[in-house]
Amino acid sequence: MTAASPASVTGSGRGAAGPGPGGGAGRRPVPGWALGLTGLAALMAVVELAPRAGLVQERFLPPFSRMLSALADQAGTPEFWRALLETLRGWALGLAIAMAAGVLLGIVIGAVPPLRAVTTSTIEFLRPIPSVALIPLAVLLYGTQLRATLLLVVYASFWQVLVQVLYGVRDVDPVARETARSYRFGPLAQVRTVVWPTALPYVMTGFRLGASVALILEITGELVIGSPGLGRQIAVAQTSGAVAAMYALVIVVGLIGVTVNVIARATERRVLRWHPSIRGEAIA
Amino acid sequence: MIRLRAALAAASSSAVLLLAACGGGQGSSDASGDGPTSVKVSVIPIVDVAPIYLGNRQGFFAEQGLKLELVTAQGGAAIVPAVVSGQVDFGFSNFTSLILARSKGLPLKVVAPGAGSTGVGGKDFGGVVVKAGSPLKSAGDLAGKRVAVNTLNNINDTTVRASIRAAGGDGKAVKFTELAFPDMLAALDKGNVDAVQVVEPFLTTALKNGGRLVASNYVDTAPGLTIAGYFTSQQTAGAKPDLVKRFAAAMQKSLKYSGDHPDEVRKVLGTYTKIDPALTGSLTLPTYPAQVNAASLKTLADLAVQDGLIKTAPDTKDLLP
Repeated sequence: MTAASPASVTGSGRGAAGPGPGGGAGRRPVPGWALGLTGLAALMAVVELAPRAGLVQERFLPPFSRMLSALADQAGTPEFWRALLETLRGWALGLAIAMAAGVLLGIVIGAVPPLRAVTTSTIEFLRPIPSVALIPLAVLLYGTQLRATLLLVVYASFWQVLVQVLYGVRDVDPVARETARSYRFGPLAQVRTVVWPTALPYVMTGFRLGASVALILEITGELVIGSPGLGRQIAVAQTSGAVAAMYALVIVVGLIGVTVNVIARATERRVLRWHPSIRGEAIA
Repeated sequence: MIRLRAALAAASSSAVLLLAACGGGQGSSDASGDGPTSVKVSVIPIVDVAPIYLGNRQGFFAEQGLKLELVTAQGGAAIVPAVVSGQVDFGFSNFTSLILARSKGLPLKVVAPGAGSTGVGGKDFGGVVVKAGSPLKSAGDLAGKRVAVNTLNNINDTTVRASIRAAGGDGKAVKFTELAFPDMLAALDKGNVDAVQVVEPFLTTALKNGGRLVASNYVDTAPGLTIAGYFTSQQTAGAKPDLVKRFAAAMQKSLKYSGDHPDEVRKVLGTYTKIDPALTGSLTLPTYPAQVNAASLKTLADLAVQDGLIKTAPDTKDLLP
């Protein structure tokens, strides 16, 4: 990935967020969410019909209805809800730590040019290291408990946030910066009035990307390390040969992913409601 | 996933050596006050570890003043580092893994047996299965064929080789493929492999779906083969001899009880696995031996050398309590 691409990804991501409530009002009678549901329904139909038609064997991919009934069975057990809570807790905790560290360090590093020059190569070296490669280290440090997975989650989502914040800070209008300086704004006041408003859209993009990555790593960690959560339940279902139960849990993970994304987008829209990209006035 | 786990095992065992050399890790169970000592055990959620769950329910660990905390892991790759670093007090592993670890210098010590072969050909908890209609009839036919095992260079491929040799075939000629147990039956069905070495509950599932058993590899390897057991690090064994003694005693009682009450074993499976309840009644359970069969352990070590997993066999007596 080149240095410029994350910024452009940010731009297109913001544009894509547009067609939700703001864009193209009243053009089409079918709202976006209805189209999304149609896609989901089609997927369900394929998963239901493919095994029934004999395209795949039922004992390796059970029909969707069987997965749903397995899901209902799961939902009746306290351990399912405990696992769900554990997964959500690990995800939220990891994301919170990554956000706090990423935003803080991003603003500090971004605001001090020599510091940025010193850290750029290090960040570019550490960032692409896949979190899963750190599993042995995590297990060695923290055993097979929550903290081992937390390390992976924080590591993976931290870079998403940090890099976005760095670009955000670099995007600050030099004139605005100089103006603030000539009015003798202190460093904190500069961050609050000049840097933060500019960086905020980038921070929110980092939040959205980090939220999905954190969920992926949370589940991966639970699956491979065996720390408590839905991932471990999936692994147990696998080793028990409970195929329908396994897919039921996979569906739950998918649903969490959708929810996380919806919440992240809603948060983004709320926090940035003053921003031109959300108000829809950016299009000239 | 399997590839990842293998890499993990390699990376972690070297990392473990480093850490062990630094003497790192603090015990998770400090005997504090009068309450029961909490003891952490890392196990794999499979049929083999039913006795520890059952014994815990029966209060055998409480009798010894132990408060058991069971941590499930996906395999030895996660368990061995956790035990060596002292994150958990005890772990569950098959003996070939322990022999390999020992020969690499990892300071491990077996404290209790875990599961063993039934010793009855055709009626063991693990075996080699082929598709219905496969031309393969016996272990000897496996020579030159593709056989799936869950981990390469471990207990299952060495015992399958032993099985082929016992049937008069060429044990070296078989081609092993690494596949996770849950993926094996699909691979067999698609014809990606000619045979799969599976354990329960996949063995029963395979047989129910028309698969045919061609070899009971654990039975063919040695009479009364002890397959897996509970181990600790020498550091823990040296620092907490009393804890080890009490855990071993509770474990012995649990194994004995499980051997005597197979119905309760089948029932306890539902508490920590998701095995279909309709299936638990027909599973073949492993034996839960009271003692590690030292001769069978020696056989496993010799097989590991014969198949080139290690250069020289470690003295298996060092591994035993």
